[in-house]
Amino acid sequence: MNSTIQLIIDDLSTVIFGKQQQIKLSLTCLFSEGHLLIEDLPGMGKTTLSHALAAVLGLSYQRIQFTSDLLPSDILGTNIFDAKEHSFSFHQGPVFSQVVLGDEINRAGPKTQSALLEAMEEKQVTVDSVKHALPSPFFVIATQNPVHQSGTYPLPESQLDRFFMRISLGFPDKHAEKNLILGLNNRNYDDLPVRINPEQLTVIQKEINTVTISNAVVDYILELVAYTRQDNHFVNPLSPRASIALARAAKSWAYIEGRDFVMPEDVQAVFPSVTDHRLGLNAGDSGYALKHVPVSL
Amino acid sequence: MNTPLINTVLSLLFIVISGFLFTEVPTPFLVILAGLSFLNLFLGKFYKKLNGLVANILAAVSLIALFVLVGVSDTVKLFVSMMLLASNFKLLQAKTVKQYQTVCLLVFFNLSTVYLFHQGLFETLVVSVLYIVNFAVLGYLTSPQSFKAANKQSFKTILLALPIAAFLILFLPKIPAFWQLPGPKLAKTGLSEQVNPFSIAKLAESDDLVFRVEQQPGQAIQAPYYWRSLIHDEFNGSDWLISDILKSQQFNPIRRTITQSNSVNYQVIAEPSSSSWLFALGFAHSTNSDVHATYNGLLKRKGNLNKNIKYAVISSEATLSLNGFEKRLYTRLPKTTNPQTTALAKELAAKHENAQGYFNALLNYFNQQQFAYTLTPTPMYGDNTLDQFVFDTKRGFCGHYASTAAFMFRVAGYPARVVSGYLGGEQTKAATLNIYQYDAHAWVEVFFDQKWHIFDATAVVAPERLNGSLSQLGDLNESFNDNLNFGLKRWSHFKAINWLRIQLEELDYKWTNWVLTFDQESQQSLFDSLFGNKSAWLTPLVVLGTLLLSFTGYFLYSKRPVRSSDPLVDDITKLYQWAKKQGHSPLDTNTPLQNIALIKQQIPSSKPYLNEFEQIIVEVRYQQQSYTQNRKNRVRVLLNSLKTAK
Repeated sequence: MNSTIQLIIDDLSTVIFGKQQQIKLSLTCLFSEGHLLIEDLPGMGKTTLSHALAAVLGLSYQRIQFTSDLLPSDILGTNIFDAKEHSFSFHQGPVFSQVVLGDEINRAGPKTQSALLEAMEEKQVTVDSVKHALPSPFFVIATQNPVHQSGTYPLPESQLDRFFMRISLGFPDKHAEKNLILGLNNRNYDDLPVRINPEQLTVIQKEINTVTISNAVVDYILELVAYTRQDNHFVNPLSPRASIALARAAKSWAYIEGRDFVMPEDVQAVFPSVTDHRLGLNAGDSGYALKHVPVSL
Repeated sequence: MNTPLINTVLSLLFIVISGFLFTEVPTPFLVILAGLSFLNLFLGKFYKKLNGLVANILAAVSLIALFVLVGVSDTVKLFVSMMLLASNFKLLQAKTVKQYQTVCLLVFFNLSTVYLFHQGLFETLVVSVLYIVNFAVLGYLTSPQSFKAANKQSFKTILLALPIAAFLILFLPKIPAFWQLPGPKLAKTGLSEQVNPFSIAKLAESDDLVFRVEQQPGQAIQAPYYWRSLIHDEFNGSDWLISDILKSQQFNPIRRTITQSNSVNYQVIAEPSSSSWLFALGFAHSTNSDVHATYNGLLKRKGNLNKNIKYAVISSEATLSLNGFEKRLYTRLPKTTNPQTTALAKELAAKHENAQGYFNALLNYFNQQQFAYTLTPTPMYGDNTLDQFVFDTKRGFCGHYASTAAFMFRVAGYPARVVSGYLGGEQTKAATLNIYQYDAHAWVEVFFDQKWHIFDATAVVAPERLNGSLSQLGDLNESFNDNLNFGLKRWSHFKAINWLRIQLEELDYKWTNWVLTFDQESQQSLFDSLFGNKSAWLTPLVVLGTLLLSFTGYFLYSKRPVRSSDPLVDDITKLYQWAKKQGHSPLDTNTPLQNIALIKQQIPSSKPYLNEFEQIIVEVRYQQQSYTQNRKNRVRVLLNSLKTAK
C-alpha cells in the first residue's frame, strides 16, 4: 500500500476505532473527486469521521448543521447592501470551503438540500444571477440519519445519484467500544497531523487516472450493471453514471492498495458503496448482485 | 441494422438470379428486372424508399410488361418471372427487420427456381454460394455480428448440413411425386421438325452440351457417329418436314420384324431440351421404361425433356423392306420445283441404272464440282433454292447437301429422306463422348438393297468432318470459333484453357452422372448392392438409425463445453476442472484469485504451483500483458505438476 495513504489511514484509525474498511472507502471517494454520503444512526461517529478526514487532508473546512429551518442563503451566502459603498456585496456562505461537511443533510427542507446539491454538481453557486466559483478541490461530505427517523426529508433518487459513494459505519465491535468508553481515542481533530497538501492530492488524483483497467474487469463491471437492469431485481437500475463511478472507484481502490491496475477484487470492494444508494437499498444489500454475477475469467 | 449493406447484398442476389434467366426470359423483361435491382441498390445506398404512388405505378407497368413480354403460354416461366418481379418490389418496400426477413425468404424461393432451368455443376455451385450469402443476411439481420462473420457462420452451418443432405438424397426412399409441376418449355436452340438449310447452320453458334455417351467396356462404337434424332420425309419445295403419316407412326410404335446384326450397347445422358426426341445410332431401342423406339428406329420420350435423363441404348443395323405405300411416301415431290436440279438428277440417273451406281455418281458429282463446306453460306431466296445452290453458289452447310441429295434421289425414283441429328462427338475420356449443339447435322438416308444407306455429301466435301467433332475440323476452325458464342471452347487452341475446359467437362459429367441421374431405379440398385435381398426392411432401419445417430451426435456436439477464444481462460477452466475432481468446487461468482486462494487453502500441496499461476493470471488478465508461448508453456507445466503433486 502507498505509504502516505497508509499513514493517513493509521491517523484516522486513532479517531474511529476498528473501521479501517470504511476509512479506506472514504479516501477512495475523495481521491476519485466524488462526494461522500455517510449514513447511520446518530452517535455512530459520522461527524467525527468527516471532521477527521478534512483535518488529515489539510483542506479548508466548514461544517453546516442542516436543520429544518435552514435556508439556501445560509449555505451559499447572500448579497448585503453596503451603506458606505451604496452597493450590494456578496457575503460567502459556508459552502465556500474545500471540504464542506453537511451534517444531517436530510433534516433540511428540499430547497436547501438542492442548493447544496447544485453546488456539488456545478462546483459553483449562483446568487442573484451572479455565478461564484467554489474553491478547488471541493468535496462535500454529508451525513444522513436513516430515513425512517422522524423529521427527515429523504433525498430524491436523482440527488442521491450525485453522491459518488455512500458508506455506513455500523456498530463498533466490543473491543473498540470499550476503548471509546475509556476515552482512548483521539478526540482532538486539530492534533491530527496533515499528511498531504492540496497539490499532493491533485498528484494522487492524476496518478489514479493512469491506473489501467483491463477488458476482463470492464466486462465484469458491465455484467454487474446489466444484472441490476434485468428481471426487476432492483427498482432503480444502475445508470451509466454509476458504471463510470464504479470503474473510477475501483481504480482508486487499486491505487490505495498500491497497484497500477484494477482487479475484479477492487470492483467487489467498492461495489456496495458505489451502488447501494443509487439502487435504493440498505447499505450492503447490493452484495446480492455480487453473489449472482459470475466473474469474467 | 446496416440497411445499405443488406439492401446491396439482396439487390445483387436478385441481379444474379435474373442473370440465370438470361436464356429463358425475353431480354426487355430482364432489363426491367435488372433496372429494379439497380434502383434498389441506388435507393438503399441513400437510405431512401420509393414513394408509395410511384411504386404502385411502377408495379402496374411492370406487371403489364410481364404479361406482354413473357406471355401466358409457358406457366412455369410466367410464375418464375412474376415471383422475381414481386420479390424485387418487396425489397423496394422493405424497411423493418421483419420485411427484410420476408425478402430473404423470397430469395430462397427464387434461388430454387434456378434449378427448374439449370442443373449443371456450375449453376449448382453459384446457387450454393448465393444460399450461403442469403443465410448470412438472415443471420446478420438479427444478430450483432459482422457480415463477414455471418457469412462464415452460414458457410459452416451449410457444410454441417451437407452430409445429412447427401445421406437423405442417397437413402431417403424416393417415391414418385404425387403432384407435378409443368416442365418449363425451354427455348433452347435445338433441332426442329422442319429442316431449313439455314437453321442447322445457326446451331453451330452454340456450344451447349446436348448429350453424353458412355460406351460399354469392349463395345466401342465406331466413327462416324451419326446420332439420329428426327426423320423428315416431306419436301415442300424449300424445307424438309415431318409428314403427318410419319408423325402418326412415331406416336404409335409398331413392332416390326427386323433382322438385327452387329448390335452395340451404350448409355446416353441427355441434357434438358424443349423436345421429346432422343439420340441414338442406327436402328435403336432402349430398355428404359420411359423411352420408346419408333417405327423407324428413333428414340422418343413421352414428355418433353425437362431434366437430365440417362437411358440405355441398343443400336443395330436393320434389314427390312418397304411396302408400296412407303415407297410412294419416300419418293413424293412437289410437281414443279428446282427444274435444273431435276434435270441433272434425271441425267445422272439415266447413266446409272442401279441405286448403288447412282449413289456413287452423286457423291462424285459433289466431289468434282468444287462444292465447299462452309459455316457461313450465301443466303438464297426464291422458289428454286436447290438450283441456286447446285449451279450457282456451291457453298453450303450439311443442310444444303442433305436437302439437295434427298431431292435428287427422289427425282431418280429412289426412296430417300432427310435425317437430322448430330454427327461426331468429342472424346473427353476413354469411353465418353460429348456431343454439342454445334455438332448438329443433317444427312440423307436412301433405301436400296433392303437397307437404309447413309448418304452424306459432307463425306466427300469435308471428309474430316466424319471423324470427330465439328470443333476439330481444321479448315473451319477459324470460322467455327468466330461463329461461336463466348465460351471456353472458343479459346481451346490455348493448351491450358483446353485442359481446364476438359477437366471442367469431366467434373460436370460426373456431377450429372452421379447426382442428377440418381433416380428411384439407381437407388434401388444401390440398396440391393448394399443390403442384398434384405433391403426391404434393412434400408428403413439403417436410414432411421443413421438419422437418430446424427441427431444425437449433433445434440451432444451442441452441448459440448465451448472453448473460449482466450487460451488463458481455457487454462483457468482446466484448473477449475481439476479442483472439481479433487472435490473442491470453485464458485463462478468468485474472482479467479479468490478461487485459487480457496484451492490453496483446501489443497496446501498446490500452493507453490498456484502462486506462480496467480502471478501469470494477474499479469495477463489485469496488467494486459500478452499470453506468450513461454507463459503458456509454464502454465501447462504448472497444471501438469498439480496433477502429479501429492
